[in-house]
Amino acid sequence: MSSDVRFTDFKSDKQPTWCPGCGDFGTMNGMMKALANTGNDPDNTFVVAGIGCSGKIGTYMHSYALHGVHGRALPVGAGVKMARPDIEVMVAGGDGDGYSIGSGHFIHAVRRNVDMSYVVMDNRIYGLTKGQASPTSRSDFETSTTPEGPKQPPVNPLALALASGATFIAQSFASDAMRHTEIVEAAIEHDGFGFVNVFSPCVTFNDVDTYDYFRDTLVDLQEEGHDPNDYDDAKDVILDSDKEYQGVIYQDDESVPYGQHQNLGANMSEIPDGAPEDAMDLVREFY
Amino acid sequence: MPADLNWAIGGEAGDGIDSTGKIFAQALARAGRQVFTSKDFASRIRGGYTAYKIRTSVEDVQSVVDRLDILVALTQRTIDENVDEMHDGSAIIYDGERSWDAELPDEATGVDVPLKSLAEEAGGAIMRNVVALGAACEITGFDVAYLDEALEKRFGGKGSQIVENNKEAARLGRDHVREEYDLDHLGYDLETTDEDYVLLNGNEAIGMGAIAAGCRFYAGYPITPATSIMEYLTGRVDDYGGHVVQAEDELSAINMALGAARGGARSMTATSGAGIDLMTETFGLVATSETPLVIADVQRSGPSTGMPTKQEQGDLNMLLYGGHGEVPRFVVAPTSITECFWKTIEAFNLAEKYQTPVFLVSDLATSVTEQTFPPEAFEMDDVEIDRGKIVAEDDVEEWLDEEGRFRAHAATDDGVSPRALPGTLDGAHMSTGLEHDELGRRTEDTDVRVQQVDKRNRKVETAKAEEDWDYREFGDPDADDLVISWGSNEGALIEALDLLEERDISVRVLSVPYLFPRPDLTEDVEAADNVIVVECNATGQFADVIEHDTLTRVKRINKYTGIRFKADELADDIEAELSTEVPA
Ligand SMILES: Cc1ncc(C[n+]2csc(CCOP(=O)(O)OP(=O)(O)O)c2C)c(N)n1
Ligand code: SF4
Ligand SMILES: [Mg+2]
Repeated sequence: MSSDVRFTDFKSDKQPTWCPGCGDFGTMNGMMKALANTGNDPDNTFVVAGIGCSGKIGTYMHSYALHGVHGRALPVGAGVKMARPDIEVMVAGGDGDGYSIGSGHFIHAVRRNVDMSYVVMDNRIYGLTKGQASPTSRSDFETSTTPEGPKQPPVNPLALALASGATFIAQSFASDAMRHTEIVEAAIEHDGFGFVNVFSPCVTFNDVDTYDYFRDTLVDLQEEGHDPNDYDDAKDVILDSDKEYQGVIYQDDESVPYGQHQNLGANMSEIPDGAPEDAMDLVREFY
Repeated sequence: MPADLNWAIGGEAGDGIDSTGKIFAQALARAGRQVFTSKDFASRIRGGYTAYKIRTSVEDVQSVVDRLDILVALTQRTIDENVDEMHDGSAIIYDGERSWDAELPDEATGVDVPLKSLAEEAGGAIMRNVVALGAACEITGFDVAYLDEALEKRFGGKGSQIVENNKEAARLGRDHVREEYDLDHLGYDLETTDEDYVLLNGNEAIGMGAIAAGCRFYAGYPITPATSIMEYLTGRVDDYGGHVVQAEDELSAINMALGAARGGARSMTATSGAGIDLMTETFGLVATSETPLVIADVQRSGPSTGMPTKQEQGDLNMLLYGGHGEVPRFVVAPTSITECFWKTIEAFNLAEKYQTPVFLVSDLATSVTEQTFPPEAFEMDDVEIDRGKIVAEDDVEEWLDEEGRFRAHAATDDGVSPRALPGTLDGAHMSTGLEHDELGRRTEDTDVRVQQVDKRNRKVETAKAEEDWDYREFGDPDADDLVISWGSNEGALIEALDLLEERDISVRVLSVPYLFPRPDLTEDVEAADNVIVVECNATGQFADVIEHDTLTRVKRINKYTGIRFKADELADDIEAELSTEVPA
């Protein structure tokens, strides 16, 4: 069935309630297209969504899905993929979900390198809770809980990923539909943990990191002739705080996904209808 | 002499106490003797005091008692810690050549064995504990040859020379006692039988039960005393196509396990203490997303970091009520080591039949106690698997709405919805911690809210009607006085019954493995003169539950020292409670 899947098959009939103009529309469209373009269909895809405006994606997309607890989407995704290597797993959430309450999981998901994709809709704000500072907010960004700005440097999620041993690091922009889709496709096709940080502007609560800001400043690495296999070049791009980049920044071609080195291949949902045949051997071990 | 023998080896953590004790326990099991072990230990890797205690008999043993017959003491502290349990017939094996001057209690007989020198003679000082085992064999009239198989099992991987050296070390210990001492007056002469027992602890029984039940995924974060479930499954569950993950924390562990369960695997996690607190965050999600998940809590002494290596049954309230909002769940607490095996299997069936979180509640005492059983106690042919309402591809259509969408949370009569596993054609759907409609889509519609809450609670009602939630009963069924217990106190209670009988006291004992849903004890409680609830906590959490259920005041026996109940102590406590006033 996969050959005639269209991206709209991944759309649910629930109308998004995002604010008109929210970056998440574009981010989601690209994810759906990328899933369809890589030969997946809703019945063999599992989407795990975080909590936030971004997390609503689970409701607006159609596939097997779980919308869980704030910050815990990555472990759920890893569990699904380990139990079901035959299923395409995509995890999505916000910058607060992934880099604040879920930051511990992010580091370990990166180094665990389970073969799945992770799309973070980074609007540098807490959207759902109506505009508080997020871990990626600028240090002088004034919000209701940080009237003078957080006065702390923002987290650099790409650097965090690199330091955690990432095998795929990319960044895209919700309104550059074509490039965003291509980049998410590459994350899906990567053998391992495909991480994409998406600039997905919040038009309601963030008047700094706007569409215009990203349009004016974004540098596309593809046009720069960047080689994603070059670790040192990737490091330079990631640590360059003067510019915003889009593209596949780093990819390790030798990546060995978790399931491969752990010999996970079985569909764990299939079990016999009684104890395993040789199970009395387990008892005899205790002689 | 009593029919049972109480033996112990004690020293510093790091002295190989556990492995030595286990070798002796295995030898006794090989000789057809029943064994019940317990551990005293401090939560330090080295230093402090640790002891491995064995109670053995040719009859059933399921408790510890306050009497020690033979003690292998590697330190003075070991002797000091156990002085109160010594009697005229006790013997203490110690090494007089070591630097400390052993101070022995007057009533005990000292047996000085040059453990280190004899071990060196056999090939290395490291074998001094095995020399002590040989000495213990001689004192107890137990053939040293029974040690051989256990030594092979323990040291076989290190080569035949090591095994032979250990056998020799045991014989040197035996010969030394034989030549230097005449201990016939102590009167120990261990009987053997033709039985052949397996020896395992509660965590091993849970792990083995999980594999028998088809568990394929385990995620956990190390914490005493739950870790050994994870260690048991590691390497073993892989043989059946499964996997064990050490997660970054318990928040992750329970969510990974939930993910695997969404994928259709029989999945579990286990934890204790602070770990179950962290997992509480996800209880509600498991319940509202209707995910079958087994969550084991091997209780230890709390609150906070408490006494990490000590016994307590203090988590009952949090397992019954933990998590914000109202979370439908099942809470099952195996009452013995064999029950750890069978209840684990039952937990997996309940989880999948009712798509609900199942808490499997054990405790530290059960997790470290090794006990003998005939292998038939774990008869794998008797294992039944019920996967509930997983829909086959051909049946999906039956559960689609008029627009072809799968009704994953259909409000059925019994409350249980169809379950489509990922990959099932046309079964795609979302599940969520948000309130949702039958399709899993978020809603705040008042009617749908009530429909979904009711359908989730209806599963519990259905289970109440369809499953067995009975108690286990011991003692005199017609006795006027009733003793109620939950979890692992059962063995000590059963032995206490015999002791009470010797004092002409008969009671009826109800041992309750099902905490939610649980048996209705109203009639039993009302019919009794005295009702005493026994549990290892300070406040009487189960006693509160029983008072709430039956609207009758009960008496309480609580122990929260960090040590499990002993049969003789429990008999005394029950006798004393029978003559107190019923609380107003
Ligand atoms: C444990 C917990 N704490 C707090 C919240 C409230 N909360 C919901 S979403 C959110 C932050 C969302 O920010 P982000 O992840 O950036 O998502 P966005 O809305 O910006 O897409 C918070 C704090 C929650 N749901 N759970
Ligand atoms: S609040 Fe911001 S992030 Fe949320 S939907 Fe509106 S624009 Fe999007
Ligand atoms: Mg955000």
